Amino acid sequence: MESKTGQKKDMRSYRLVTALSVLAILMTLMVKISAHSGSAAFDPKDKKVSTVHSKKDSVKSVEAFSKVYSVLMSPRCVNCHPAGDVPLQGDDSHLHAMLPQRGKDGKGILTMKCTNCHQSENTLGTHTPPGNPNWHLPPADMKMVFEGKSARELAKQLVDPAQNGHKDMKALIDHADDDLVLWGWEPGDGRTLPPLSHKEFKEAWITWLKNGAYAP
Amino acid sequence: MATTNLKINGKEYSVDVDPSTPLLWVLRDHLNLVGTKYGCGVAACGACVVHLEGEAVRSCVTKINRAAGKEVVTIEGLSEHGDHPLQKAWEQVDVPQCGYCQSGQIMSAAVLLREIPNPTDEDIDLAMTGNICRCGTYLRIREAIHLAAEIQTKLK
Amino acid sequence: MTEVKNNMGRRSFLKAALLAGGGMIVHFSWPVGSKAAGKDALEIPEEWFEMNSYIKIGKNGVVTLFNPNPEFGQNVKTSLPMILAEELDIDWEQVIVEQADFYPERYARQFTGGSRSVMEAWSPLRTAGATARQMLVLAAATEWKVPASEITTQQGTLLHAVSGKQAGYGEFASAAAMRPVPESVKLKNVSDFRIVGSSKSNVEVKNILMGKPLFGLDYKTDGMLIAMVVHPPAFGLRFRSMDDSVAKTMPGIKSIFTIDSLTEDIDQNIFDATSFTKFAVVVGNTTWEVLQAKKALKVEWEAEPERIFTMGGRKATFPSGLESTEVHRAKMQELTKMPGNVSRRDGDPEKAFQSAARILERTYTAPFLAHNAMEPVNCFAHVTADRAELYGPTQAPEFILGTLSQRLGLPKEKILIRLARMGGGFGRRAYGHHLIEAAVISKHAQAPIKLVYTREDEMTAGIYRPTYSATYRAAFDENNQLLAFHVKAGGIPESPLHANRFPAGAIDNYLAEGWQIPSNITVGAFRAPRSNFMAAAEQSFLDELAAEMGKDPIDFRLELLERARTNPIGERNDYDAARYAGVLELVREKSKWKETTEGVHRGVSAYFCHNSYVAEVVDLVMKNGIPKVEKIVAAIDCGIVINKDAAINMAGGAIVDGIGNALYGELPFKDGVPQKNNFTTYQLIRMNEAPKEIDVHFVKNEKDPTGMGEPPFPPTFAAVANALYKATGRRFYNQPFINELKSS
Repeated sequence: MESKTGQKKDMRSYRLVTALSVLAILMTLMVKISAHSGSAAFDPKDKKVSTVHSKKDSVKSVEAFSKVYSVLMSPRCVNCHPAGDVPLQGDDSHLHAMLPQRGKDGKGILTMKCTNCHQSENTLGTHTPPGNPNWHLPPADMKMVFEGKSARELAKQLVDPAQNGHKDMKALIDHADDDLVLWGWEPGDGRTLPPLSHKEFKEAWITWLKNGAYAP
Repeated sequence: MATTNLKINGKEYSVDVDPSTPLLWVLRDHLNLVGTKYGCGVAACGACVVHLEGEAVRSCVTKINRAAGKEVVTIEGLSEHGDHPLQKAWEQVDVPQCGYCQSGQIMSAAVLLREIPNPTDEDIDLAMTGNICRCGTYLRIREAIHLAAEIQTKLK
Repeated sequence: MTEVKNNMGRRSFLKAALLAGGGMIVHFSWPVGSKAAGKDALEIPEEWFEMNSYIKIGKNGVVTLFNPNPEFGQNVKTSLPMILAEELDIDWEQVIVEQADFYPERYARQFTGGSRSVMEAWSPLRTAGATARQMLVLAAATEWKVPASEITTQQGTLLHAVSGKQAGYGEFASAAAMRPVPESVKLKNVSDFRIVGSSKSNVEVKNILMGKPLFGLDYKTDGMLIAMVVHPPAFGLRFRSMDDSVAKTMPGIKSIFTIDSLTEDIDQNIFDATSFTKFAVVVGNTTWEVLQAKKALKVEWEAEPERIFTMGGRKATFPSGLESTEVHRAKMQELTKMPGNVSRRDGDPEKAFQSAARILERTYTAPFLAHNAMEPVNCFAHVTADRAELYGPTQAPEFILGTLSQRLGLPKEKILIRLARMGGGFGRRAYGHHLIEAAVISKHAQAPIKLVYTREDEMTAGIYRPTYSATYRAAFDENNQLLAFHVKAGGIPESPLHANRFPAGAIDNYLAEGWQIPSNITVGAFRAPRSNFMAAAEQSFLDELAAEMGKDPIDFRLELLERARTNPIGERNDYDAARYAGVLELVREKSKWKETTEGVHRGVSAYFCHNSYVAEVVDLVMKNGIPKVEKIVAAIDCGIVINKDAAINMAGGAIVDGIGNALYGELPFKDGVPQKNNFTTYQLIRMNEAPKEIDVHFVKNEKDPTGMGEPPFPPTFAAVANALYKATGRRFYNQPFINELKSS
């Protein structure tokens, strides 16, 4: 059955398989991210990057990314980085009821702008809208899709300024403390937390980046 | 408790409530504006939609402090005599069955028509899928929105 | 014209009963009357003259018609007055409609349910209208000194053609109201109807669209407090103790206590049904404050042993235990394999099955459903030492009055139940436990209170459509001809079986059996109770039978109906085979059944219930593997249609409801806990899933009107299932179908 639900189910099992295989893949399939051979994903002209570049440790980087990936693919992150233009909802990452749309700026359209329901903080109770002052999806011209991406695909995407919202290394590192990212660890009643603590995630994130941001 | 100043349907109100009280209950319990309905309390059904600075917010999860000093319009303020193009169209098509969800439907449709003056069925799906009608009057709502668009165009 | 005996009681002479409602607080106007026409300026007369309990006429000719029945969206508040207006012969533009309070001695029947409002009001309302008209004619005849038989009426005017005299009804209202009630009156010929059969706008439409207070939840009076109850989180649990130390100190909270809504000694009826009778109660100033305190209340629960109570003078029980859907399914499967209680046997079905060349057996199931009316359960009550006033949403005040009287220790005539417009009902509000709870709370709190359920309270407090299972078997001979038919249906806690329904009467060897499994999960009527499941199962099975026999599904049904019409088996068949066939033939014609469109999958279904016949053809498409019903053609025989446009609206709504529940509806249980408690998890059909077109056709006849609220609902389930079969090549046996689609 080629239902959306069916696809999602497939995707979930795919995700699980991917996560389990990460360690195995690690040792055999280390490829540096870049269209430019011998460099990380950052523009080689960016000096900051080259500094970091010098400290690269591909094994450490890829190891760290497997942790990063487990967090990014958790419902708290993936639900607002959907493959389509409708966010996902719940621990089972089903399509958001009432099908709100991404819209150009990622803030919804017409009667279903994100902030029509999502307040600047979580609404108390279960099954209530979570909130953050900056609640939104990635915009239409920079969708930053996580849903359905393999670890390798996602790693490459995250450090590609053309796909990551034009973030350089500093911006990427700072992003670990972004308010909306932090929300993932305070998601409100009834929502599972990401598999790592924020501290562990941030460590893995920086380790991955500072060691060359290798893709598994 | 704290005093919050509100501007609803063009009138100034001052209410003394806990600032986390949802706008819905302030409207219904304190200001006797009961056209805005309670259906689910978790922003899932759309019965409580009002306009806050022109946006179709769900008043059941909108704390009163968010509305402080901003323009709020409820179904009672959509028009003085019930002759907004949407109200006229709803009456002409005779949309309601039980009627409970209809004020929320109309308030949502008003935002749709403002942003897309001549919506297609697909636009209506995108804008109205957030409003549940348990009686199943969706087809008439769709018809009434098209009719309201016509009425609105003629008025311009 | 038909002459009917009049059994209208003596009316009272009502002088100067002004339209403005009394007792409301200042700044809050509760609309009492609704203008029938869109006119804003209908001049309200200073004096009204009561013709009977349904009709008041003003001096200026404006007429007030009382709608006796509770309105929950089925549009009785418009259609019942239309019947009065027809026989009274008035101008609909001059009508004001008022909702009657519950007065069993004044009105014939004040119950919304069973799709019987119009059917049962038809004759009393026609008589009431004709009687008032006749009294006006007689009053004019006396005054004009002419024979009454020479006076005619025309839309609110009395005419004497010979003398050229004429007068508005208002001029003779006073004289007419003082006349004795005539012993018999003449009713109009159906062919002379002007109002019945036309389309009149919902009399409340403007109030609804302007957000006027109309619903029980909108009601308030001076000094009214808000009350909420905390009920057990699981069926099979009961209240043990509570800690209110935090909750009672919270702002706006007046009192926290417990109530027993029903006690063992009270003789209940089925409409009091509730598993929960002891509640923690929070009373306070405003809804939000009470809700916060309710959340802060710590309540301990304990397992409830088997609960014994009295119902209809007999002992009844709720079993103990925490029930789960998984266990329910296993138990139901077990029961389908055991002999049931036989409720009909024609011919020798056992022998026929033994001698069959081939047997087709299929089992269908459906889950518990929550009604999910948009307006949550609520009720206003003000109980004092010597009287009680209740105002709220109820479909069945008559069934709760006796219990209220017992529980409050007040005579029935000291209890006034006022009927609020209901934000939906679907059967849920036939059960009046909330009226009793509100009254007991008010009595305890010694204050007027409005009981408010949250959505979660409502979805988890019981009164559900039961879960059902039905096994169908068909025996074929070696020529693939149908030899015998067997249905065995049951459920938790009741059997849905209608043993005398089609195809009973059309098959020589027929066997119908039922079974049930007790449960402490409270159930109740849900739009077309039992029929909503039996139609789904039976009409899916007949579709599969037709396919097995290589026959067109409509032709196959018509063949069976022809047999039932010309040479029926048995005498207890509860349907009229000709009318049944009539809707199938009409839907075949109107849907252009034989025409097919690439990518559009068609399914048909027909059912008789609540005295009406409905056939439906569904056009379904698959979009990215998701089914979408694009169009439905429906053919309905409900006799005379009162308000055509409203009937079309109602049929469309019932069909949309059917699509939604067939595809998505379910309320699973685990350890007694309902697994869904709000619309975030309980999927209801929404705009994007609604069809593009619903095309409704009525069979034209002059038969007395029958039900419309329920009959269009049951056929939709199987029409969807049968279309899904065409789309996927698979049969769908278990509701909701979306689960079966996902599991493929």
